[in-house]
Amino acid sequence: MKISSRNTKNIRNNVAAYLFLFPFLAVFFTFLAYPVIYSLILSLHKVSWSTNLYNVFSDMKFVGLDNYIALLQDSHFWWSLVVTAYYAILTIPFTIFLGLILAILLNNKLPGVSLFRSAYFLPSVLDMLVVGVIWTLLYSPHFGILPNILNSVGYSNFMDNGILASPRTALPGVALAMVLRGAGFGMILFLSAIQNIPVSVYEAADIDGANAWQKLIYITIPLVKPIILFLVIMGTIASLNAFTEIYAMTQGGPYVVEFMGKIQGATRLSGYYLFEKWEAMKFGYAAAVSYVLLLITLVISLINARLMGKRD
Amino acid sequence: MDVKKIRERIKKILLLTMLSVGAILMLFPFFWMLFVAVKAEGHGFKLDFVMAAPLFKNFAAVWNNTAFPFSRFFMNSLFVATSGAFMTALFCSMGAYAFAKKNFVFKEVIFWMLLSTLMIPGMMYMVPQFALVTQFGWINTYKGMIIPHVANIFGLFLLRQHMETIPDALISSAEIDGANEWQIFRHIIVPLSMPIITTVFLLTFLFQWTNFLWQLVVNTPDSLKLTLPVGLALFRGQYSTQWTLLMAASAFSIIPIAVLFLALQRFFIEGLTAGAVKE
Repeated sequence: MKISSRNTKNIRNNVAAYLFLFPFLAVFFTFLAYPVIYSLILSLHKVSWSTNLYNVFSDMKFVGLDNYIALLQDSHFWWSLVVTAYYAILTIPFTIFLGLILAILLNNKLPGVSLFRSAYFLPSVLDMLVVGVIWTLLYSPHFGILPNILNSVGYSNFMDNGILASPRTALPGVALAMVLRGAGFGMILFLSAIQNIPVSVYEAADIDGANAWQKLIYITIPLVKPIILFLVIMGTIASLNAFTEIYAMTQGGPYVVEFMGKIQGATRLSGYYLFEKWEAMKFGYAAAVSYVLLLITLVISLINARLMGKRD
Repeated sequence: MDVKKIRERIKKILLLTMLSVGAILMLFPFFWMLFVAVKAEGHGFKLDFVMAAPLFKNFAAVWNNTAFPFSRFFMNSLFVATSGAFMTALFCSMGAYAFAKKNFVFKEVIFWMLLSTLMIPGMMYMVPQFALVTQFGWINTYKGMIIPHVANIFGLFLLRQHMETIPDALISSAEIDGANEWQIFRHIIVPLSMPIITTVFLLTFLFQWTNFLWQLVVNTPDSLKLTLPVGLALFRGQYSTQWTLLMAASAFSIIPIAVLFLALQRFFIEGLTAGAVKE
């Protein structure tokens, strides 16, 4: 009797739990879990000349691993990985560095600290497309404010073409805009971590005669290391995801760099390349690109997890 | 006056100067946007002070533009962000309650699946999600824009973490009083989790408001459901040199979020820092 009542309770609990979970799980399985498999299936297919254009996705031609073989020989894809890595190197360290500096400056007793905190954090919640469009204006030739400032200090190289039209400065230009936009996010995380460090730790260091620099290197940085690692992971994912800023500022250009015998876009990141393949209706190929990028993400995450495990 | 006090004073002034210079640099693009948005036609590209007359002429021109109706884009953005945020907050709270307070079969498996999906960059979902939405006939619809993103795993974890701290005694005493499952959720769990639910709501609102790629993918250019960022991108394709109008249009996207953020930043900061501390 007792056992059966416990059983009914158990069943009722299960039913209730799944009723509460149902809306979330329905969306999760349809749009987040299933696409991981569906993407793999699509990557083995191709939109061909016989595909019914009103029903593309159920009428693609099976081509086996052809998309992946083509991908391995695609210089544009390899180049996009190079540019993505370069973008990650340009953005991640500077975003972290700037965020940490701001957090350390804000960790002083000063009038208006909360005002400064809001000012620094605000750009990171604003629309990335809009931020990119504004920076395009700031960078533009002849009338853009940055080329003009550089001109007034005797550096006139950017007056005719602006900053985004030169292959050397285009990606750093995008990166600068995004670093200034994103640093506030890191700042908030660092600030909450630094404020959790007990004052007594610093006081003990003072007694031992440590200067400000030593306190930074030996106390603050080791204690905020988890935040740094978190920001590295987030930054890596953001670089692999980077699309909007490129769409807003350069559309992958300028197309003047030569690599593996082909002309390449100086800022054509893999995320943007994937979008271009989607736009050209090469859905099978685009799915293959996303699958390879997914594998790269997994490998990087594993390496990160290893590094974290070693340090602890 | 002793030397120590003077040194403190100098340090303070130096710090404040550095912080002010930094703040001006980081906010400069937004001031510039507002400045260009109130300049006279044809002067957006020039370094002068010729202002529009009346001052907000560009805003009115963009708001009432017939080919690119930013008033319509604004309403679409507002609708998509609000309903997306509401559904996300509701679904995540319900799911989080099950995870925090109930035992069910496959709990560990589902939890593990959610956790591993968290690491996948969103860009990788573009092709398969587009294929699904196309097959459902959801192109150029609000549901196509909203529903694929309402299963917010981060939001569910954030809420679960909080709901685990609600004492079981509260739930069992309500059960004894004859409350059913939904009443327990509605009258005990939800009120006690309101700050975190608000955080999830606001973060999703922000995400939906600023989301560009998905709204671009799921709408054709002639769609009536375009949101502000997509409308701005199309507008720019047509009027790429009209910087005064472009910046006025940009301001429609930036200003509401800036106001919302400044008014409610406690919730934003709590949610964003909770995510990192968990890692």
